Amino acid sequence: MMELFSYGPLGWGDEILAGLWVTMRLALTTLPVGLLLGFAVAALSLSHIPALRAIGVGYTTLMRGLPEILTLFIVYNGLGLGLNRVMAWIAPEAGPVDFPPFAAGVIALALVFAAFAAEVLRGAFQAVPEGQILAGRAIGMSARKIFWRIKLPLLWRYALPGMGNLWLNLLKDTALVSVIALDDLMRATKVAVGVTKQPFTFYLVACLIYWLMCLLSELVLARLERRANRGLRRA
Amino acid sequence: MAFLDTLATNLPKLLDGTATTLALTGLGAAIAAAASPGLALLRANGPLPAQLALRAYISFVRGTPLLAQLFLVFYGSGQFRAELTTLGLWGFFRDPFNCAVLVFAVNSCAYQTEILRGGIQAVPLGEVEAARAVGMSRPTILRRVVFPHAYRIAWPALGNEIILLMKASALASIVTVFDLMGRTRQIFSRSFEFSVYFQAAVLYLIITACFVYLWRFAERRLSRHMAAPGRA
Amino acid sequence: MQPQTPQDLVVHAQDIRKSFGTHEVLKGISLQARNHDVISILGASGSGKSTFLRCLNFLEIPSSGSVAVHGETIAFSNGRIGDQRQIERMRQHLGMVFQQFNLWTHRTVLENVMEGPVQVKQKPKAEARDQAEALLARVGLAERMHHYPSQLSGGQQQRVAIARALAMEPDAILFDEPTSALDPELVGEVLKVMQDLAAEGRTMIVVTHEMAFAREVSTEVVFLHQGLVAEQGPPEKLFNNPESEVFARFISKIR
Repeated sequence: MMELFSYGPLGWGDEILAGLWVTMRLALTTLPVGLLLGFAVAALSLSHIPALRAIGVGYTTLMRGLPEILTLFIVYNGLGLGLNRVMAWIAPEAGPVDFPPFAAGVIALALVFAAFAAEVLRGAFQAVPEGQILAGRAIGMSARKIFWRIKLPLLWRYALPGMGNLWLNLLKDTALVSVIALDDLMRATKVAVGVTKQPFTFYLVACLIYWLMCLLSELVLARLERRANRGLRRA
Repeated sequence: MAFLDTLATNLPKLLDGTATTLALTGLGAAIAAAASPGLALLRANGPLPAQLALRAYISFVRGTPLLAQLFLVFYGSGQFRAELTTLGLWGFFRDPFNCAVLVFAVNSCAYQTEILRGGIQAVPLGEVEAARAVGMSRPTILRRVVFPHAYRIAWPALGNEIILLMKASALASIVTVFDLMGRTRQIFSRSFEFSVYFQAAVLYLIITACFVYLWRFAERRLSRHMAAPGRA
Repeated sequence: MQPQTPQDLVVHAQDIRKSFGTHEVLKGISLQARNHDVISILGASGSGKSTFLRCLNFLEIPSSGSVAVHGETIAFSNGRIGDQRQIERMRQHLGMVFQQFNLWTHRTVLENVMEGPVQVKQKPKAEARDQAEALLARVGLAERMHHYPSQLSGGQQQRVAIARALAMEPDAILFDEPTSALDPELVGEVLKVMQDLAAEGRTMIVVTHEMAFAREVSTEVVFLHQGLVAEQGPPEKLFNNPESEVFARFISKIR
């Protein structure tokens, strides 16, 4: 039993750890990209210009209504087709190429993450009490100062619980990329299963690893929330 | 437009897949809905061991990808083929549709239990005491006061959960169920016609929109008594 | 052409009008605050007194009229927003104390007081800190400077808010019902601080329901009724000899 998961040529420990590393890199790369996109979409949906607002709201509604796996296939295959069309034009003699799955995974997951993050951010922006902003105006702060010194620090407080949930979802959604040929934790497990014929054991271990990652994340998130809420009376 | 040109050819298969998607979601959600009230009560104020067990179950479900749960049951059951055969259950686990429904039910049940627990704990204590004061038995209080309240509070969140389950049911296609996503992938792999993905996207959005409409309609019926006083 | 502001005129508002939709809340109000004036603005709720005060530092944009502060004048027409830069510049010379304190919940008491000088006036941190500590000592909260606002009572929070306003070294301080959100037993400590400021010669414009303050501390009382100035003058004259019937009724109800 133990040697199944040992490190080295006999066990699968190193393969699984390598997969875990891909999973973590994927999640940690997607997070900033998705967050940035999410800010942009939130800005659109809070815009004063109706057309921009429609784009923002339309994007979040659409993205949140589609299965993540469908988005992933659309992005992966769509980018693949697009790339090949471009390649056929530039270098017709070269054969078909695959769009790098890691990049496709990051893009697809970030597109999904951004839609949900935009909703969280929009809600958080609207939750900042007006008095906090009035006090800034009253001492002559510019709109930009008010954004950086008051709205953004408070935004963090109101957005953190929602963002925490999205991070956990993201961590779990990375498992989807195993179907587009990316060697993440899920796929490493699948390879091990193919050789050892012990599917239950290996998938259980994979589940336990994901669970552990989520539990650790929750711990960190609880810490961050305590920090963000300093200065707030405990209810 | 490719979208409309291929729609006529693709639509029968896609609609067939849609029916499977609805069956997967409906069965999974219904089984979960049947189990969740009892579990929610236990989770809210059951004996400590039951509470701990439920917390572990809910935490596990929430902390692991649905795809991994699906693989654990569908592929994992193969490791116990001999045992399952003697029990007469191997036929059940060999069918990916059955496995998907089972996993979706177990998964959704965890979320529904947690949502309903929140609803139960939000029932005003005064109304429960009023029911006790008129001499209602505990089961009657649950049936007449606690659950009607809890469901009304939990209703929007339960609707969200079912939509999430519907979207997540697309994962069944990866264990070879021909749901809407499965049909879509099948058509794409044969024709490389990209527009099928957009056709599927529209169908998923239509399902969601219809469900949201029905759920809101039911919500209005559930909360008729909360209409504005002027209109009463 | 704007009228020349005399040297001792700190705030000069002329013919301020403000409508919300078709409802005209302010129907042309003028006010002059000279150095060392303490002006109490009284009025029933809905008389427009808070709206008027908020027009003075442009938290509400007047529909028409003009406001002059610190040698600059903005004239409004048709509710146009005006020059945002100029508005921000002029606001720095008017302190504001809100009914709900509006201390920034994510910053400590000391940080709240330092924020304006450092971020808006670009004062060096060390200098702003010394100043903030001195101001907090003055309002009796030196030992609370590292607390967060939520750890303070309402009266203490309002005193911090006053220190925050003072830190900008304003020409005048606006108070928007500063004691209305406080429990009765906490009102005194805030009024005491305000009284000290008045005695020091600070220019103050105070929207209030505290008749005793209006009567004993202020140099001038303005009574608003239905968006217009119904009565105006030194408190001893107004309270003893009200000219208008509405004001007579107003003070008799209070007493």
